[in-house]
Amino acid sequence: MELEKADLCAIGAGQGANGPVLTLRAGMCGACRQLHFPITAYGCPRCGAEPGRVAEQALDGRATLLSFATIHSRLSPLITPPCVVGEAEIAPGLIEEIMLAGEESQYADGMAVRAVGVEITRGDTAVLACRFEPAEDAP
Amino acid sequence: MTVLRDMRPVYVVGVGMHRYQFASDTNYIHMGLTALRGALKDAGVDFPDIESAFVGCTGIGMAAGRILFSHIGWTGLAVTQVENASASGSSAFQLACLEVASGRREVSMALGVDKYGDQVRAVAKEGVNRLSDTATIPLVKYALLAEYLKKEKGLTAEDLALVASKNHTNAADNPYAQFQKPRSVADVLASKPVMGDFTSLMCTPRGEGAAAAIVCSEAALKRLQISGIPVRVLSSTLESERPQVGREMGSVAVARSVAQRTYHEAGITAEDLQVVELHDAFAIEELLYTETFGLCKTGEGHFWLRDGASRIGGQCAVNSSGGLIAQGHPLGPTGVGQIHEIVQQLRGQAGPRQQPDARVGMAHMIGLGSIAIAHVLRRD
Ligand SMILES: [Zn+2]
Repeated sequence: MELEKADLCAIGAGQGANGPVLTLRAGMCGACRQLHFPITAYGCPRCGAEPGRVAEQALDGRATLLSFATIHSRLSPLITPPCVVGEAEIAPGLIEEIMLAGEESQYADGMAVRAVGVEITRGDTAVLACRFEPAEDAP
Repeated sequence: MTVLRDMRPVYVVGVGMHRYQFASDTNYIHMGLTALRGALKDAGVDFPDIESAFVGCTGIGMAAGRILFSHIGWTGLAVTQVENASASGSSAFQLACLEVASGRREVSMALGVDKYGDQVRAVAKEGVNRLSDTATIPLVKYALLAEYLKKEKGLTAEDLALVASKNHTNAADNPYAQFQKPRSVADVLASKPVMGDFTSLMCTPRGEGAAAAIVCSEAALKRLQISGIPVRVLSSTLESERPQVGREMGSVAVARSVAQRTYHEAGITAEDLQVVELHDAFAIEELLYTETFGLCKTGEGHFWLRDGASRIGGQCAVNSSGGLIAQGHPLGPTGVGQIHEIVQQLRGQAGPRQQPDARVGMAHMIGLGSIAIAHVLRRD
């Protein structure tokens, strides 16, 4: 099954509760030594260095969940409410909006979460989409 | 950097609006001309007196301004269309002010006009995916921020509803507002759930409309024998977002930075303001910005609101027009509509919405991206 948004993530090693564990594709800038996510074709968004100065760095897909809420209304044709969206720190200082698997009752602020590939359908096609779920080592 | 106050004085002498409304078959030419004729009449000038025009517009298409003006006289005026997302009208106003302040023109105009539905967002052509399918939807960002602040500061859904109730109630007396119905806190809480604590009445509606503002120099005030109360534009400030530090969203940080800079440029402090129009696309924003603008202490926005300080008649009336939540947010016109409200207030012509003794006001907008832009106006 194809991985949706393969420019952001890749299949990693291991299996989560909802699908295979994913790694995240970040960029490390050789000029300013700052990490950014995601890596793009355009170079370093922090200091403006050319793309050639940026090396891909795989993040392990583990993150700290900062806040989350359930969307009740169809804000985008890409989502099917109710669905849970949150903000998480995917690396020190890098805060990204993420989509969470399942219902909000299983989540808490500060919880460890991890990226997994969850099967969803886009039109008639099934794909693996990046969602976050409680990490096994969560307290 | 040269700021507006170092240049020639600029005065707003005429404002006009076409009511903001839900998407309809009203032609944009009709809406734009209604606002324009309103502003001309208000200033007591004729269209040929206008030397240049900046047209804030996000969704109508190429040359919307030139086509609009071709229905009111082929005067040869300089026309420039301005797109800066939600701040398009504010940016059009900034450029009109700079034209006059710099000495390039004596009389200029900002006109915002938009229809809902044709907007194309560049982020869809960026060629960069995001982890979340809602990552470019501002409502989601602000709803998550509200969740965070709920725990951090003890904000409640009732506080969000109180912002919306105040602004809907202000708009009930505003003939140009998209919503003109007073709403209680209970009404707001009972409206359709959107995300987290957000309900539909806590969020700006989609719509269309038009607003116009004519600005001129001191020389033009005399030459055109303008008899109305001129309102001076003291500052005009624009910045874009920097990388997020900690939990504060970049759009909130840039809103603060622009407010501080515009106070400095205008030579005022937050205590000098009696009226403020700000970007309350979502109720949480008003709570945040009243703090970041220094109208109240950091962390006390909800107490300041509960005390009635931001109501008409309070310390500083915030969104006396009804704001984006209730007057509406048709994008291109929104920033010019804020100027319309501030000018009416400073002239003492806001009718049942009049803030007593209003002399200094600020219009502050956020545009997608994000950018922040602010203007301070004063009745001399
Ligand atoms: Zn760099």
